[in-house]
Amino acid sequence: MGSFKLGGMTFGSLFKKPETTLYPVETKPAPAGLKGHIHNDVEKCILCGICAKTCPCHTITVDKKNRKWAIDPFMCVQCSSCVYACPKDCLHMLPTYTPVSVSQFCNVFDVPDPKNPKPAVTPNSAVKWDFSEPDQLGQLEK
Amino acid sequence: MPQFKQDFSPLSIEAIHEVAAARKSEGYRYVQTLAVNTEDGVDLVYSFMKDGALDNEVVSGVPRDAVIPSITDVFLEAFVFENEIHDLFGVHFEGIAIDFGGNFYHLSVKEPMTIISPEQKAARDKARKIAAAKAAKEAKAKKAAEQAGAQEAPAQAAEAATAAAAGAAEDAAAKEAELEAKLANMDPEKAAKVRAAMEAKAKKAAAAERKGE
Amino acid sequence: MGKSTIIPFGPQHPVLPEPLHLDLVVEDETVIDCIPQIGFVHRGLEKLVETRDYNQFIYVAERICGICAMGHSLGYAETVESLMGVEVPRRAEYLRVIWHELSRIHSHLLWLGLAADAFGFESMFMHCWRLRERVLDIFEKTTGGRVILSVVRVGGVNRDIDDAMLREIVNVLDGIKDDYTKIMNTLLTDTSVKNRTVGVGFISKEAALDLSMVGPFSRASDVPYDVRSFGRGAYGELSDFQPVTDAQGDCFARVKVRCLEVLQSIEIIKELAAKVPAGDISVAVKGAPAEGAQASNVLEQPRGECYYYARGNGTKYLERMRMRTPTSQNLAGMATALKGCDLADVNMIVLTIDPCISCTER
Repeated sequence: MGSFKLGGMTFGSLFKKPETTLYPVETKPAPAGLKGHIHNDVEKCILCGICAKTCPCHTITVDKKNRKWAIDPFMCVQCSSCVYACPKDCLHMLPTYTPVSVSQFCNVFDVPDPKNPKPAVTPNSAVKWDFSEPDQLGQLEK
Repeated sequence: MPQFKQDFSPLSIEAIHEVAAARKSEGYRYVQTLAVNTEDGVDLVYSFMKDGALDNEVVSGVPRDAVIPSITDVFLEAFVFENEIHDLFGVHFEGIAIDFGGNFYHLSVKEPMTIISPEQKAARDKARKIAAAKAAKEAKAKKAAEQAGAQEAPAQAAEAATAAAAGAAEDAAAKEAELEAKLANMDPEKAAKVRAAMEAKAKKAAAAERKGE
Repeated sequence: MGKSTIIPFGPQHPVLPEPLHLDLVVEDETVIDCIPQIGFVHRGLEKLVETRDYNQFIYVAERICGICAMGHSLGYAETVESLMGVEVPRRAEYLRVIWHELSRIHSHLLWLGLAADAFGFESMFMHCWRLRERVLDIFEKTTGGRVILSVVRVGGVNRDIDDAMLREIVNVLDGIKDDYTKIMNTLLTDTSVKNRTVGVGFISKEAALDLSMVGPFSRASDVPYDVRSFGRGAYGELSDFQPVTDAQGDCFARVKVRCLEVLQSIEIIKELAAKVPAGDISVAVKGAPAEGAQASNVLEQPRGECYYYARGNGTKYLERMRMRTPTSQNLAGMATALKGCDLADVNMIVLTIDPCISCTER
């Protein structure tokens, strides 16, 4: 009667906290080291392009002339090789689970020029990973 | 506890079946067969293992029309690899125990692994360039050494000076060759930039020298 | 004697997580011959090595298979390191082995859950996957990924595990061990499981040696072959390593070997976690593999020995990268095990061999 050997464990589960969560009402807290998505700390970025070269999926494009740094989150595989390759430590992986989206887009970061500290007032400035308002994102249509 | 060691040895096409049978009677395990597409035909690598000793037997440069004897009568498990190599590399095996006749993988392109992609071609060209640069460097170093030897004979007093000069020349030649090798490794755009920068630097140095004079 | 019929099995079948096709030649209810066929998920990953340099290819190697992701990246990195003569720091070797053994636990628990599901033992399936979830949580905390870890690099590892985390891993494993022992004892003493597996799909020791079988499949036939016993990497630091073997050679033996290997992996991690040396976790790797240089390597994946081969061409792109995975070696053994069995036992035999078709086709 092997089946009843598991009985104790199964019976005990009745009084324990459930192992599952009521997603989406309740979400799992993300651990600190989670590889969520790439964020560029634009203050430190020197647009060297090493990240674009290291990326195994050619996700990152660096436009030195227009001082733009872009990543396609739909091609990124979260390997974080760009984070390790960055000479200025300006790239980070933020521990947030990537939310779903209804359209494809690129995330463009404006990198301010230290020699010419004119605040960039292009519509694409200050990109934040806030998917709750997808229309207000600085997005480049693909 | 047996120690792991790997070993590569050459093998001829005729000997494949004999070697496989001999390995079997010696108590070796069959590990795998793989193919590498090279410029002079396909290389086949047969691997056998006994007590941690991994024996890789390399058949190099199998021509396109060659027929390879199958080893599936000795090691049945080789049928997966032989069918795979037939489909991906176009090598013909004779007498496979379970022969899929080219239908092992459902491919859209015939023999995809023998197609040399532009990237691979670029990589091979680059490798050739690096090898050429290395050879040039060695030749230059040799020449410099010869020159130093020739100059050494006539005057013993000047020996120290000439040796130093030859050393410097050798150094310069070596540096140049190294740089060439590095440039060959870089993007063409970048290499052009570096070359331009170097020329400018040399001009500047020459100008400074003239000024000093 | 009845008329013989050919019954197709797969590529879509409830017990198969991956597409494998078997042509079963059946006489009455007995399978008299079997022709395995794969080729449904060939992705040409080996060709990709021409467009990704040797540092980038590690992320491709990882994606050969979701369950063996850690093993493939580790095997690939070891091969390239031996190709380029790179010495890996001791600490990195320990951390690699800890992650690799954790992935073995997760793979075996996943398989055990699927097996329990195929037995019709639903509650055990839930319990196995509940425990597996804890291992995945460890992965998430230490590497940032749950399945694809991206933690191994050529020359070491990307992330360090600090002492507090090592203690936590040992604590979590102790918790898993308590629950797991109960589950395992239930499974291995259950009458209906025994009825289903004992004496089914028998492979003798001679046949196992003859067919060069690898992994738990061969160890269940009393072939004590385990790449870990060569003592490479941090495995050499273990005080005692004996491959888990069983002499029965049937489905039950294969279930038992896998069950006991989970406990063995837990012991390995606990032992290594106690003596992880301090030091660097990676060395910088410069240059490129020499032209025509070759290296081969074997590694014990959860499913058995995996063979890797790399050839350089003087640039940072490899000329050829090859992975021979355990399942392609075991296909002939599977066909042999199926000969003479009942049609109703086919799924049990295929399941206990634990085929990983994505690995096999790459």
